[in-house]
Amino acid sequence: MLLTPFEAKAVTGRLLARSKADHCIVRLNGGERINLRFARGNATTNGNQSSLRVTIESRFGQRAGAASVGGLDEQALEAAIARSEEIARSAPENRELLPPVGPQTYPVGAGYDAATAAVRAERLAVVSKPVIDEASRRAIDVAGYCMARHGFDAMATSAGQFAHDAQTGAEFTVTARNKSGTWSGWAGRSDTRFDSLDPARLGRRAIDKAAYTAPPVRLEAGRYTVILESSAVSDLVMWMLWNMNARDADEGRSVFSRRGGGNRLGDKLFQDAVTIFTDPGDPVAPERVFGDEGFPSRRTVWVQDGVLQNLFYSRFWAQEKSREPIARPGSFVMAGGTTTLDDMIRATRRGVLVTRFWYMRMVDAQKLLVTGLTRDGNFLIEDGRIIAPALNFRFNESPVAVLANVLAIGPSERTRGGEREDSVIAAPPLLVNDFNFSSTSEAI
Amino acid sequence: MDRRRFLQHAGCALCAPAADHLIFRVTDAAAAAAYEGLEPAARLKLADMALDLALRAGASYADVRIGRTEQELLRARDRRLEALTSNVTVGFGVRVLVDGSWGFAGSELVEEAEIRRVVGLAIENAKAAQLIQAVPVTLESMPAYREDWRTPVRTDPFSIATDVKAAKLLAINEAALAAGASYCSSLMRFDREEKLFASSRGSAITQVRVGSAPYFEATAIDRQSGRFASRASLAAPRGEGWEYIERYDFLAEAALAAQEVQQKLAAKPVAPGKYDLVLDATNLWLTIHESTGHSTELDRALGWEANFAGTSFVTPEKLGTFQFGSPLMTVMADRSQAGGLSTVGFDDDGVRSIGAEFAIIKDGVFQNYQMAMGQAAFIGRSQSNGCAYGDSPVSFPIQRMPNISLQPNPMPTSLDDLIAGVEDGIYIVGDGSYSIDQQRYNFQFSGQLFYEIKNGKRGNMLRDVAYQGRTPDFWNAMDGLGDVSTYHLGGTLFCGKGQPQQLAPVSHGAVPARFRQINVLNTERTDF
Repeated sequence: MLLTPFEAKAVTGRLLARSKADHCIVRLNGGERINLRFARGNATTNGNQSSLRVTIESRFGQRAGAASVGGLDEQALEAAIARSEEIARSAPENRELLPPVGPQTYPVGAGYDAATAAVRAERLAVVSKPVIDEASRRAIDVAGYCMARHGFDAMATSAGQFAHDAQTGAEFTVTARNKSGTWSGWAGRSDTRFDSLDPARLGRRAIDKAAYTAPPVRLEAGRYTVILESSAVSDLVMWMLWNMNARDADEGRSVFSRRGGGNRLGDKLFQDAVTIFTDPGDPVAPERVFGDEGFPSRRTVWVQDGVLQNLFYSRFWAQEKSREPIARPGSFVMAGGTTTLDDMIRATRRGVLVTRFWYMRMVDAQKLLVTGLTRDGNFLIEDGRIIAPALNFRFNESPVAVLANVLAIGPSERTRGGEREDSVIAAPPLLVNDFNFSSTSEAI
Repeated sequence: MDRRRFLQHAGCALCAPAADHLIFRVTDAAAAAAYEGLEPAARLKLADMALDLALRAGASYADVRIGRTEQELLRARDRRLEALTSNVTVGFGVRVLVDGSWGFAGSELVEEAEIRRVVGLAIENAKAAQLIQAVPVTLESMPAYREDWRTPVRTDPFSIATDVKAAKLLAINEAALAAGASYCSSLMRFDREEKLFASSRGSAITQVRVGSAPYFEATAIDRQSGRFASRASLAAPRGEGWEYIERYDFLAEAALAAQEVQQKLAAKPVAPGKYDLVLDATNLWLTIHESTGHSTELDRALGWEANFAGTSFVTPEKLGTFQFGSPLMTVMADRSQAGGLSTVGFDDDGVRSIGAEFAIIKDGVFQNYQMAMGQAAFIGRSQSNGCAYGDSPVSFPIQRMPNISLQPNPMPTSLDDLIAGVEDGIYIVGDGSYSIDQQRYNFQFSGQLFYEIKNGKRGNMLRDVAYQGRTPDFWNAMDGLGDVSTYHLGGTLFCGKGQPQQLAPVSHGAVPARFRQINVLNTERTDF
């Protein structure tokens, strides 16, 4: 359930007043999510999920402990305060613990849409039905997921800080498969606003891809020119951002470590046009207004014109290195270019169009080598046009290498990756050279 | 719940700061009991109320889960305890079948008014789903049970003082650092999940499941070369109490890991190619999970999970005939194995799982799918085999894995026997990187430690090894299997499936096994 800033402040104020600790940090989060799934012409599962969580962190000197509980029951909250204090008293000292942040000025959040917060089940079914009907007309099976959510995060400290952020999210994803199971297509999108999803267009796109009748060609594994649609790009770049921890880099255990010590900030690691940033004011993919440690989010450029500009710094590590802290990103925007997907196809003599990735996992942190597979819409391109569906590939690639091999960038759009729910990402399609496919997969 | 109703419910006027104390509530007696400890009579009263409301609103079937999950998490980085958290989640979920459509709703606020609201939402959702319900959902008949079940635990992990656990973690890190690791991180997580399942068919089942999950990872860094390596613990999460933590010699393993991670830095890179592999049980459990566990889920085979988790190459016409693996391969599903993370008396559809073990693969031939309620008829069978799970009371229960285990060789066979049968191969220990396609054909797995096998003997350590295969080819290439003395129960707390994604705990028993001529990659990138 959603608490307004006033409500959240009242709750955190009461809890802070009851604290007997030297310092206390209270975090609240909650919300409601509604979803509907369908497969092969039928509704499958659905549901509303309502949550409200209170986490109390108590500190005595350099000792800290936290307890969380669901709901606002008086007894449960009292028990949580007592538990967090008991844990903190028995905890060993943590020399890296910094005092909680004091009053801050936060940006205005751009991630909430009242109409999305009001979406109910009937709406999910109504927007899904035309997709199911079109699939039925075209003798294709579709499986899809339609979701709307609203929620909030709040944080207050005994040092006087208070922050509140409300967000909404909506998602429509659909996988289309032909009746014989020999080809498939996918389309999907997430957005702050349910009304921006356009499920009918997404459904058509997935069905169009699945409706190719030519049998898929089996290409040899190897290095290919690829066109990565925005979903695939979002997954690769997210892997890179997760690993942009300054401390790991400084300690020598990251792809961003400099041989001999230090990190690679300021190095030109990527192709000239690559720019990646996080911005709480971004209208398409807004970052939350505050991070885990309570300091305000601000526009952070991670990569500018191919140069590594920022890594994320905890408050402790920032203090150690005499820098400003930067929160771990929860969202990102990769700046777009002007080359359309069609232009990329026309410019490709021989290559592969990739719709989305699946099951990406780290293989070697040293080079940020990640494995995964293409899925639901892999096509062979020859002489500037799509020739045929192509069997899926497994890849072993590093996003660092991919972003160094970019040939062209398309318009950036809000997108949705293969595995991560609730992502807030805007990414463009990319034309990339020398992408490493390590084996074929006959999975459709 | 919309905001206005929440405020009315909370007895709060529209938030003049002076009224803030009213936001706190003292809930009704039954709900208070639910928060404190899910007192059985109070839980049952709330469940009966939900079922009664659902049936009166037109449901032909309804079930409700009321749960309280307690979790303790400790995390240490080197000589410092980084996080120490205790979480309690209380919640309930109501599932209704109305005119052949499911409707579900759940909330983490357990009180009468919220139950009324949530039952209403579940009914509303079922009615909305009818717009896209071409074929009505039908359920098999099932017996009703009124029973209790709990994980047999010798020492409740929540009875152990936090400082004892913290000291244990810091000692693990210290052991690794003292033995030469550059860094060591560790964590322990303890879970106690208490759940009441009640259905309109008359079931009322109370279960308590306990789990203990230890983990550490030692890292070594060579500043000069810029290379680093890590070695994770081989300890698995288990459905056991504190006795598991006491029984396992973490200090010895941490010291060993620190030495091995140094060896890993200096190890010879593997030459890619085809090798005979001996996979330790600490590695093979994850390969079993991904390639045999997920491929034999009926909802995937029916196409219901096509949009996210995927479908399966094991299509229903293969039942009883498909040669999944070599004749040495028998894979059993159970919810009864001691220490299993999926070990439980009843599944989340209320199906009894005690004594309901079944073969998924017998002598290499595919025998049966994992099923939840309402699925058996699609393959001409009469009953679910007890494989439903919801990862919290507010999650719709879907088909999830029981413990799925590779059965030991009935003939005496040791790890050394398996290695002795290899001229030029690799022995792989521990689970590492893992990835598999959406139909569970093409996989790539790595490990923690890799050793050359030359002329039947384990040799020097290798690095940068991953093996890649196609599920049925791989399992048909198995020609050696350890006996019961080599059995190891691996597992994970984080098996993901469904939309919204649910994370399930599951264990997999495994023995070491030998596979002939498997494709091995060198995963090091040297071109940038």
